[in-house]
Amino acid sequence: MTSTNRNTSLITLAVAVVLWFMPTFRETLDYPVFFLLFGYSLFFWIAQASSWNTFTGFSGYFSFGQGAFFGAGVYSVAVLAVKRDWPLLTTFLVGGLVAAVIGLIIGVVVFRLRKLRGEIFALMTLAVAFVMASLARVSPTIDGGQGVPVNTVEVPEFLGDFPTMIFRLGLIVATLAVIAAQTVQRSRLGWGLFSIRDDEDVAETLGVPTFRYKITALLLTSFIAGISGAIHSLQIGYVTIEDVFSIRVPLFVILMSILGGTKHWMGPVVGAIVVVTLNDRLNRAGFQEISDFITGGLLIVMIVAVKEGLYLRMRARPARTAIGFVVGLAIGFALGALDESLITLLAYGLGIAVLAVMLPMSWGPGGRTAPTEASDKVVSRG
Amino acid sequence: MNASLLSQSIASGILVGGLYALMALGMSLNWGVLKIINLAHFSFILLSAYVTYQLASVYGWDPFLAIIVTVPLFGLGGMALQWAFERFRISEFESLLLTFGLFIIFESLATSVWSADFRRIDSAANPYASSSITIGSISLSIPTLSAFVLAIGIAFGTRYLLDQTHFGRAVRALAHDREIAGAFGVDHRKVSMQLAGLAGAYAALAGVFIAMSSSLFPGIAVEWFGIVFSVVILGGLGSTMGTLLAGVIIGTVGAIATVVWGPSTAPLVVFLILIATLLFKPDGLLGAKGGV
Repeated sequence: MTSTNRNTSLITLAVAVVLWFMPTFRETLDYPVFFLLFGYSLFFWIAQASSWNTFTGFSGYFSFGQGAFFGAGVYSVAVLAVKRDWPLLTTFLVGGLVAAVIGLIIGVVVFRLRKLRGEIFALMTLAVAFVMASLARVSPTIDGGQGVPVNTVEVPEFLGDFPTMIFRLGLIVATLAVIAAQTVQRSRLGWGLFSIRDDEDVAETLGVPTFRYKITALLLTSFIAGISGAIHSLQIGYVTIEDVFSIRVPLFVILMSILGGTKHWMGPVVGAIVVVTLNDRLNRAGFQEISDFITGGLLIVMIVAVKEGLYLRMRARPARTAIGFVVGLAIGFALGALDESLITLLAYGLGIAVLAVMLPMSWGPGGRTAPTEASDKVVSRG
Repeated sequence: MNASLLSQSIASGILVGGLYALMALGMSLNWGVLKIINLAHFSFILLSAYVTYQLASVYGWDPFLAIIVTVPLFGLGGMALQWAFERFRISEFESLLLTFGLFIIFESLATSVWSADFRRIDSAANPYASSSITIGSISLSIPTLSAFVLAIGIAFGTRYLLDQTHFGRAVRALAHDREIAGAFGVDHRKVSMQLAGLAGAYAALAGVFIAMSSSLFPGIAVEWFGIVFSVVILGGLGSTMGTLLAGVIIGTVGAIATVVWGPSTAPLVVFLILIATLLFKPDGLLGAKGGV
């Protein structure tokens, strides 16, 4: 668990700086505009999944509230920037703050209850998302059931054209989310959260300030999810309650984190890259339902068979991962994936690498025992 | 506001509450006794409704007759799922995620078979949808009235089963302490599968009545989450009488909110009740005593 230090964050920052200039050299590198939009999609889900995992993955308290935080961000822009002409960038910040306040309220109310069980917390966060959706539907100030067109909002000139702007904004938030997760993981806060996940009563006896730690992590999660949602409102264009508060955001965030692994900051990042890439290619090829089947099936397989997540498996089996990836690229290349897009080729590589890693650990060369089970958290407490 | 409108909507609310209770009962038993938060329960209700639609609209069956197909089908489905949960030693927390995966699969299955469009049994094949019984100024629709009567029957029947039979004692022992129950000779795998089968059968019944009274589309199952979870939590996990009572309360309150403040406020009121219950009465209406 200690495989992250300050250098990791510096490397992350360096990668982000390189990516920042990707739109600048679009003409030179001659790649399609779609790459920027695809990149944004990756950044958005990395930000959402990482922020979710910083609270839930590390502390073990399962939250369905991601949709509520995300929705708070989206509707902050829709209400303030569209209906009241606030400057757009201010509303991004407000979106994060509104989400954080909601997170704070949930945390303070719920964590005060000593006997609260994990699954009741999960339902509570789900209920809060439902309440927010119904509130938005009832209140004409927020939505009133009509939807809000965000694509009419005025965007500051210096941010460039739409693909460049959304790519860079997404990059900033994703970097923020990932570095926050790294920082938490290597700090006292992270160790405190891990001890809460392992056994909250013992942690408390040992003097871990569980209440303060849980609140801090929840604030961080909700703030980042809120900003990310605020920016995403530009991508959605026409904001409706049904889309914003659908079960899809919490579902995908959960899926990505569980797929990648919840014990390491890298888990949600890996999960987001795999899910976004495969989903995008399957949907583009017109296999929407197959893509849903795979989504559901992956979740089941991970829970039954690969509890520690893809990332820890990949790290334990680097050779198999690399071979799988290269074989996948070769298959993709042979099938002419490159004619369609570089992303299709990448999807082949990722898909085969994931399959290779998912095969049982003890099978194949150099089989070692699997890392300790990731889902050893018993949720019922008290 | 007009008094007859209010009394009419309260009456419909009570009846719809019976349907809510029917939908929630199996969920509550699964959760309270087997420690499985089974989101696939919603899928069973949805698929049972679609099977009913298929039998009635395409093959011309009487919708009530669909029960002879759906109840065994989803009863067995519930048993099969429970077998898999036992086989892979799924914890309460993992069950929530795993059945979430199943839920998505079943939803896309329903979409690929019956499309994402609205489906409704033709009125020719479903004479019950438009028929009702009138008492004074209040009219009660046949599908919801029968769901209500059935929900009461099932709640009392299940209560009797749990209180008076050998199977019921085994179930209650299991709910209290799985290991001790095992030490006293309760075959937990067999008892769990039987109970999960029962829960699946309840889902099937709920689905039949939903197909008779409303339009179907695959996304409808997500919309049940809020109401059914509210009923399950308000009723108390594993509490049959609590669930029945909670269903009627939620149905009635929703109906009153609809008349007084408008239809879009009903979910708001229901979810606020859910939050209040979670905070102040997490054991449900009847408290821990109401449970199994």
